[in-house]
Amino acid sequence: MMPASRPHIIVEDLRIGWGTRVLMEHVTFGIERGTTFAILGGSGCGKSSLLRYLIGLEQPMAGRIDIDGVGQPHLYQGMPAFGVLFQSGALFSSMTLAENLALPLTTWTPIRGATVRDLVQAKLELVGLGPFAEHLPGEISGGMKKRAGIARAMMLEPDLLFFDEPSAGLDPISAVELDELINTLSRDLGITIVIVTHELPSIFLVAHDCIVLDKIAKGIVAQGDPRALREESTIPFVHNFFTRSSPGASASPGR
Amino acid sequence: MYQRFSRDSWRDPPIRQISVGIAAAAARKSPLMTITVRTEREGDRARLVPVGTFDVTHAPAVAQAVAQVPPDLEGCRSIDLDLTHLDRIDGAGAVLLARFLDRLDVDGDRTRIVADRNPEAARLITLYRQKRAESAPAPTRAMGLLATIGAVAADLPARVTDTLDFTGRCIAALPKIVTSPRSVDWHSLPRLVQEIGADALPVTSSANLLVGVIIGFLGVSQLGRFGAVVYVPELVVVAHFRELGPLVTAIVVAGRSGAGLASEIATMKVSEEIDALRSMKFDPLLWLVVPRCLALVLVVPLLTWVGDALALLGGLLATVAITDLTPRAYTLATIDAITASHFFGGLVKSPFLALAIGLIACAQGLATQGGAAAVGARTTTAVVLAIFGVIVINSLFTLLYVAVGV
Repeated sequence: MMPASRPHIIVEDLRIGWGTRVLMEHVTFGIERGTTFAILGGSGCGKSSLLRYLIGLEQPMAGRIDIDGVGQPHLYQGMPAFGVLFQSGALFSSMTLAENLALPLTTWTPIRGATVRDLVQAKLELVGLGPFAEHLPGEISGGMKKRAGIARAMMLEPDLLFFDEPSAGLDPISAVELDELINTLSRDLGITIVIVTHELPSIFLVAHDCIVLDKIAKGIVAQGDPRALREESTIPFVHNFFTRSSPGASASPGR
Repeated sequence: MYQRFSRDSWRDPPIRQISVGIAAAAARKSPLMTITVRTEREGDRARLVPVGTFDVTHAPAVAQAVAQVPPDLEGCRSIDLDLTHLDRIDGAGAVLLARFLDRLDVDGDRTRIVADRNPEAARLITLYRQKRAESAPAPTRAMGLLATIGAVAADLPARVTDTLDFTGRCIAALPKIVTSPRSVDWHSLPRLVQEIGADALPVTSSANLLVGVIIGFLGVSQLGRFGAVVYVPELVVVAHFRELGPLVTAIVVAGRSGAGLASEIATMKVSEEIDALRSMKFDPLLWLVVPRCLALVLVVPLLTWVGDALALLGGLLATVAITDLTPRAYTLATIDAITASHFFGGLVKSPFLALAIGLIACAQGLATQGGAAAVGARTTTAVVLAIFGVIVINSLFTLLYVAVGV
């Protein structure tokens, strides 16, 4: 990581919402190239909404989003510069896994035939789904759908991946496997990864940097290395979030 | 020299074409150098040197370069892959090189990656080779034509028994409506009556009005040849009240509400809402199917009745417009022609047609398995079956009336 280099993503004084309702304002942060960045916060604080703005699905009310120095991504223009994993995997249910993965390649590149098959099969193997190329999304489990979603997001070899709640709804073992996959992508392929999540174990395992969002504050309440925030933060919400305690409750299971 | 452009060539081509074109152009002529794999051979040792940009936009050129490596490497006992002259490599380039090494290693391990100057590239290629080794081969699931025909044929009996099973369970559930009325979602009934009935009124009414006009014109042109225009009102009454009124209304409702109900229930099924109902001990047949069928049975006769009235108006408009018959004479002849047997002979059919639409739509919805594509397929099947079923049931009633002599 070179601190002198320009951040991969810059968000400046962003205000988002619908109509007159402001969901979040004064959101400012930067994401360094090659790092894994977590967007944290309680349920309903607008984490996933913020992601929709970052990937260009929505237009902000004010402020600036800049990815790779070219501004907020435009929909439908040019080859996608990043991959996105949606919460449920968002695989197209009428296509096999192989067809799902081949779609971005055959749409955006002149690659055809056996080369497509090789690249698709290699990506499936990378996420441990080698034997399932001919399966339909309806025939595999939720964790496998997410891994297939990651494989599809990586088909165009982007240097930036967005993950929306990758480990939500997975058993602890699958979640750890997914976290290890994320670490592999970050370490071996040097990909910048932005994760929206509220899974604590996963945050400490993968994230280099994070922001914590709060519904009441309508914006960022803390920013930094999650391990440092856990140890040092004095903000009650952030402390409770990282130590998994609710105000005035004991942490041991009830009887 | 002038170059002539057709008007279309001035317009911007679609965005997708442009960017694919750019990628293709980039793949054809890389600005720096061509993409090749150089081969250097000394005795039984060979050295392969990939040169150029090995990334996803250049993948076709990479695949071609790899394929052009001469097959005379046979006999080499050791092959080195030297990555020092690689411009850039990404996952796609790494995969193609990894598969290339896999092919060279078929006769036993003889390849080695020289990674002194480019450890990232070496790690990438090794990653994809490892993952291939860890992965089990994919089983093939392709089916031949004969097997497909066989599978469809073998599936047929199950489809028939499924239909019978659904009908039987519906009948078995009927007594429970009385014994445990709280297991039916009565609160949804007003909404369903609104959606299936009131909201459909404009479309069913105008369809019936136009059918009345058509029968009117047809009657004038055919009966007029025998000077029997005065019988046109009776023709409209008999044809529309007995047959076309119930049929046209039911077909419009089947297309409209049949699709709506089937897709609603199908979406509930794929998003596990049906499972949630069942886990809470609600029978979806009672909770969902009964109110929908009931709403249809209540509303379709009403729509038919309104449609009948508008068809009379349509017949009147058509006849008065092109003959000397006065509106008053037409109306009087119509009143004479309407008998209880014509009127109720048609209306009696409507609830049965409505019930068929409801049962078919709900059965298809509940049978949905899979995702978005399955919802679409089931909805299509529901509409096709509902329209076909409506026509068949209507024909059976006609046969019955002829046999009984009503």
